[in-house]
Amino acid sequence: MTEKTFDLVIIGGGCAGMAAAIAAYDSGLRDIIIIERSPLAGGVLRQCIHNGFGIQQFERDLTGVEYADAFLNEVNKRQITLMTETIVLEITPDRSVLACGSGEMVLIRAGAVILATGCRERPRGALLIPGSRPAGVMTAGCAQRYLNREGYLVGKKIVILGSGDIGLIMARQFVLEGAEVSAVCEIMPYSSGLTRNIVQCIEDYDIPLFFNTTVTRIIGDKRVEAVTIAEVDKDRRPVSGTERRIDCDALILSVGLIPENELAIQAGLAMDKATGGIVADNTLQSDTEGIFACGNALHVHDLADFAAAEGALAGRCAADYVRNGRSPKGQVLKTEAGFGVRGLVPQRIRLPLDEAVRIQFRPASRYTNCRVVIRSGDRVIASLKKPILTPGEMFIREIRAADIDGDIHVEVVL
Amino acid sequence: MTDFDVIVIGTGISGACIARELTRWRLSVGVLEKGYDLCCGATKGNSATVHSGHDADHNTLKGKYNVLGNAMYDQLCRELSVPFRRNGTIIFAASPAEETELVRLKANADKGGVPGVRILTRAEMDAMEGTWGSDVRGGLYAPTGGVVCPYTLTFALCENAARNGAEFFTNREVTDIRREGGRFIVTTPAETYRCRYVFNCAGTHADDMNNFVSRHKITIIPRKGSHIILDKRLDPYVRATLVQTPSPLPGGGHTKGQGIQPTMDRTVIIGCEARDVADKDDMATTPEGLDDVLSYFRKNWHLFPISRFYPSFPQDLVIGAFAGIRPHPTTDDYILGEPEDCPGFFNMAGIESPGITAAPAIAADLVGLAAARYGFEPNEAFDPIRRVRKPFRDMSADERAAAIAEDPDYATIICRCEQITKAEILEAIRRPLGARSVNSVKMRVRAGMGRCQGGFCSPEVVRILSEELGIPMTEVLQSGSGSNVLPYEAGIEEGLS
Repeated sequence: MTEKTFDLVIIGGGCAGMAAAIAAYDSGLRDIIIIERSPLAGGVLRQCIHNGFGIQQFERDLTGVEYADAFLNEVNKRQITLMTETIVLEITPDRSVLACGSGEMVLIRAGAVILATGCRERPRGALLIPGSRPAGVMTAGCAQRYLNREGYLVGKKIVILGSGDIGLIMARQFVLEGAEVSAVCEIMPYSSGLTRNIVQCIEDYDIPLFFNTTVTRIIGDKRVEAVTIAEVDKDRRPVSGTERRIDCDALILSVGLIPENELAIQAGLAMDKATGGIVADNTLQSDTEGIFACGNALHVHDLADFAAAEGALAGRCAADYVRNGRSPKGQVLKTEAGFGVRGLVPQRIRLPLDEAVRIQFRPASRYTNCRVVIRSGDRVIASLKKPILTPGEMFIREIRAADIDGDIHVEVVL
Repeated sequence: MTDFDVIVIGTGISGACIARELTRWRLSVGVLEKGYDLCCGATKGNSATVHSGHDADHNTLKGKYNVLGNAMYDQLCRELSVPFRRNGTIIFAASPAEETELVRLKANADKGGVPGVRILTRAEMDAMEGTWGSDVRGGLYAPTGGVVCPYTLTFALCENAARNGAEFFTNREVTDIRREGGRFIVTTPAETYRCRYVFNCAGTHADDMNNFVSRHKITIIPRKGSHIILDKRLDPYVRATLVQTPSPLPGGGHTKGQGIQPTMDRTVIIGCEARDVADKDDMATTPEGLDDVLSYFRKNWHLFPISRFYPSFPQDLVIGAFAGIRPHPTTDDYILGEPEDCPGFFNMAGIESPGITAAPAIAADLVGLAAARYGFEPNEAFDPIRRVRKPFRDMSADERAAAIAEDPDYATIICRCEQITKAEILEAIRRPLGARSVNSVKMRVRAGMGRCQGGFCSPEVVRILSEELGIPMTEVLQSGSGSNVLPYEAGIEEGLS
């Protein structure tokens, strides 16, 4: 087994991981390695041939592939080590990273570790959809990979369950490829995807979108032949009498993303059930010194740009940690999620602060004409009027360092 | 017409055990499976329990072979390199009626010769498994209860039988059997076989096979049961198999003994319920079946020691569900041996629970009986040992480094959730009776069986199958013929080429 040391090991070469490496380099660190599973860095962006990437980060409208290449260029320009086709099997709290790839096992001792492992899609099994198990049932990301990376279409008459962004984007792409999308079913009364995707991918193509509707049965022996869909009541239980059969040859699932955190869990880092990521402070550090997380591994983002921005923050903070050899030992404040707030990040704030803190959460439901009230201790530091809040769109607000002197409390007030 | 000394019908646990036992004798053995792969029926979908024998009536064949089969598991699994663990079974009582039932079960276990069964006090139960719910009053402990992966064992049995000379044929549905001049003619759409002896291990279809040749008709009712799989994150909190005592209902009948159990793959399995169904091959999950299991565990989760760590049923850790189909004989007991009007035709029928446990003992007895009666010659070359490499995920760091040094494909992890390497997937395809489809790879090495359920690795498995089998991507199958994963190339209009 080969042993190596690096100041900073970044696990995952998607946009968050690459942005972290670039930012760490730009704040002076040189001894950096990115470990990436695939032969080419970029993560899931490599299968995103649609545009809409980079508007915030590069002020340009790029495809996912171009966006990944833009980051990869920056990484290469800085000659940051990129170890591809390598998978990390284990990390330890004292920052040993055990990896496997390129024909060998490697043990890396790291000054700091950033977890940028992205997320995975919730599969059929987790939903317990009754019925048989034919070919043709898969997640939207899997169908996207088959189409955009391998060049195969998984069906010609398609039903999509869930209105996550990948599902919406795939609905449009299926139509462009000559397939028919018979229905997009969303169990909730609102979409879990971005409004822009509902408009550009569904409405513009006249694809039928049914809210309060789910798939209640999968039918077919070898391949999917049909599904039964039904309306649901307010407890999301199918309403009997509303079932109808839709013939189809594929059922595509876009029913949620789950941060990939097996390494963090195995290393015993404190986890947050609401986000599925680690419990992070404002520097994106876990409860274990020197281990950081960012991007979709920390919490699922709406846009790649946001994941990349978070990666850059993690990169800067990890570089600080390596330079100082330890974390600042100031007071640690908590952030608390009140009514209507799910998956509040960061979960901790470490004083003293030298930059603003970015507060992010997902609304627990859809709210209209409401306020988001943020308190520090007993003091209201922001009260923001929102015509609409929806779980499909992350709430993001920067809070000035000077405003934070007590535990942060965030709630939605109707 | 293909000739064999013996034809075995079915490759579930019964057919697999019989096939292996037969190769201890100098016989030509042909094994017919109607599915696209071995082990596609009852054996594929059940709770993976090696039962102690405490609950099967000691006066029945079920009771007898349960205890005998259980005792064979250590050696059998050692010979075949199949993971097996005696994790023990605790049947717990949460009401006075259930406590009374425990006493009855204990007496039954003692009469059946089940080793080491004893009543536990609540304090003993807490010491063994952690603190139980306050309603739990006591339990019955059966230390010989165990867990095994039933299809891993079945593949291993078949593979060992194949190494010892048995020939296996998939996609061979037996449509007729008749006797002709002291031989049996076994018909399948693809091929007709002639043999001296038939072993009927056809699961839910065993009645059809028997009824082709015997006037003594039997009936097998397909009985469906649902199970739910939970993430391996829960594995540290579940040790023994924990089952609530099935107790008589006021209006007649029994409550179903639902339980929770670890698996050899470190996931946790919960279930199950049972419902008679019409279709013998229908393994689709149903809303009612899943609901039975879910509502039991949502309601009774607090009884189990795991609730100290996960206070309510962890719905977010559900990774999958399946339904199994069990062959329930109307006689309520196993139907074994030759019907009196049909010598040479051996039934191993109605092998419902505890079938996985009982099958090795039944097969040894039935084949032993046939050998004595028909004078089979021993096969001196029989090798009971199946040699396999330890799965990568179970290797130490040094073992992994050594495996990679020998075969660099060990360094390419294809299924990240279960840490299955490219070397292991290639091996699953190249082994005797190797995988030919995505599901066959999954059943052999678990690629795609983890928490992402193949979302990431199935494209890679499809590509490996395409390369290894030398077929286009569009011809790679998920299961049997017609289950193409990728039916269309993109950008190609129908009718043009």
